[in-house]
Amino acid sequence: MEILKDKKAYILFLLPGLFFYLMSVFYPIEESLRLSFMSWDGIGSKKFVGFQNYGNMLTDKIFWSSFINNIIYVVIVVLIQLLIGLLVAVLLTYLTRGTNLLRTLYYVPCLITSVAVSQLFRSIYSNEPVGLLNQFFNTVGLSNISCAWLANLKTALVAVSVPEGWRFIGLYMVIFYTALISIDTEILEAATVDGATKWNLLWKIKVPMIRPVCELALIMCLTGALRGFDIPYLLTNGGPGNVSELLSTYMYKKAFSSMQYGYGSSIAVFIIIESLLAVWMVKSIFAIRERNEGGK
Amino acid sequence: MKKKISIRKIIFYVIVFGFLIIQIYPVIWLFLASVRPSIELANQPFAIPKSITFVNYMKVILDGRFSGYIVNSLLVMIESVVLIILLSSTVAYAITKFAMPFNKHIYSFFTMGIMIPIQITLIPLFIFYSNLNILNTKFSLVMPQVGFALPLSVMLFVSFYSFVPNEIIEAAIIDGCSAYRIFWKIVLPLSKNTVITVASMYSIFIWNDFIFANTFISDSAAKTVAVGLRDYVGAFGNVDWGSTYAAIGLSVLPPMLIYFFLNKWVTAGMTMGSTK
Repeated sequence: MEILKDKKAYILFLLPGLFFYLMSVFYPIEESLRLSFMSWDGIGSKKFVGFQNYGNMLTDKIFWSSFINNIIYVVIVVLIQLLIGLLVAVLLTYLTRGTNLLRTLYYVPCLITSVAVSQLFRSIYSNEPVGLLNQFFNTVGLSNISCAWLANLKTALVAVSVPEGWRFIGLYMVIFYTALISIDTEILEAATVDGATKWNLLWKIKVPMIRPVCELALIMCLTGALRGFDIPYLLTNGGPGNVSELLSTYMYKKAFSSMQYGYGSSIAVFIIIESLLAVWMVKSIFAIRERNEGGK
Repeated sequence: MKKKISIRKIIFYVIVFGFLIIQIYPVIWLFLASVRPSIELANQPFAIPKSITFVNYMKVILDGRFSGYIVNSLLVMIESVVLIILLSSTVAYAITKFAMPFNKHIYSFFTMGIMIPIQITLIPLFIFYSNLNILNTKFSLVMPQVGFALPLSVMLFVSFYSFVPNEIIEAAIIDGCSAYRIFWKIVLPLSKNTVITVASMYSIFIWNDFIFANTFISDSAAKTVAVGLRDYVGAFGNVDWGSTYAAIGLSVLPPMLIYFFLNKWVTAGMTMGSTK
């Protein structure tokens, strides 16, 4: 496996990458932790305040509503991306013609930059001039529910979650599809010979076999949504009021608009802990399942 | 029996095409909007276009500002991608082919980075850059782009290099090749596919990055396309929708070109990253 022994060369090959990685990923983590115990407006001197920022965070109503909003946002995004992604991937495996082209086209929204996605959805949601969504409701005779979706207190959060879900459906579809078609066909043939129906084949064999991929897709999707920022920031910037505020948009506001770097950092630390917890949770749920299945 | 299967297939096609329309129609609309006169767009944005015009594109390109954003984006993208390839291939070479004690730990240290949200870097790097007076420089974007790309790209290179047989390297050592020469002449050229995968995938990511550019760049001369687009979305207000959509069309073009030419590699990177 490892055969080269030149120590100087080893250092030369390893260090530059390690340096960039440390500087841009680990130095900021250390600094965020340190700043989260300080009070600092960016100009004066930093003041050590212990756990005060964290204390403020726990009593901050907007922080908690952002946290709840973030969970709703995550649920919507994960449901859209994984359910539609898996559904389309499964259906594609049964189709024979045009699957390559279909896969290519499904992926296209993943290529569009955030500002463009949000402008697109701003036009779709718009009420004046009548956007696509309201036009649709008017045509099917539901004109009473058409409104300015982004300005409406009740719909703003859902309206900022959907575009984020929409844009990455193709990514998860491709991931699931690749996993599904790489299942050994001998296993499927053997099961068919034993009399498994297509439905059973799908749920009892195919989906369980791609479980590791499902786990990773869930982790990717979950952590991606927990740090969601671009679309909500661009579409509503947390508004109207704070009804579509997420943790990262709130952190951004605190740090770069109110210049509360310490408080902003403590929210950033919260986001990192939350992401790690989510990964840990998914991993342990899948591990328990695995053990139960194994014991059968 | 045969008929039943074909009915099922039809239903499947209908569902797949239904979702395809949801995925693709907005994108098509976006391009249609960019070739329509602004007045038509303002009044009936979703009607079928009556006339086609490239005035919008001409206006955006001749304006000069947007071309500047495109140049900035290209430079940031190229610099970052070159560094990502160089640094991740060398790190992967070091930890797969050198007999050193902590290789496993270094590898897990790198892959750990996949779980770190980029938000954590914004405040510290902003402060760090403003102390060094390097906000609004390309480097301020390149550094975090490279840092956050390394975990996945190191992983992809490591998974390829562990399949490079040691016999080749042994033979090269016997021929008197140094570790450097082995890397440049043998190992790196062998990993051409991984290089294309990483390069195409990260070109698209970096071109589209919004959050770093929005935080570290405020000077109009240094803006990238992903943030410069906001000039059009906000500044012209409701007046000039044509230019807005032409600018959006231009911003989407490079990732689409990369994707349609290197499709296989882009998705290979994404799926490999998730299945490893």
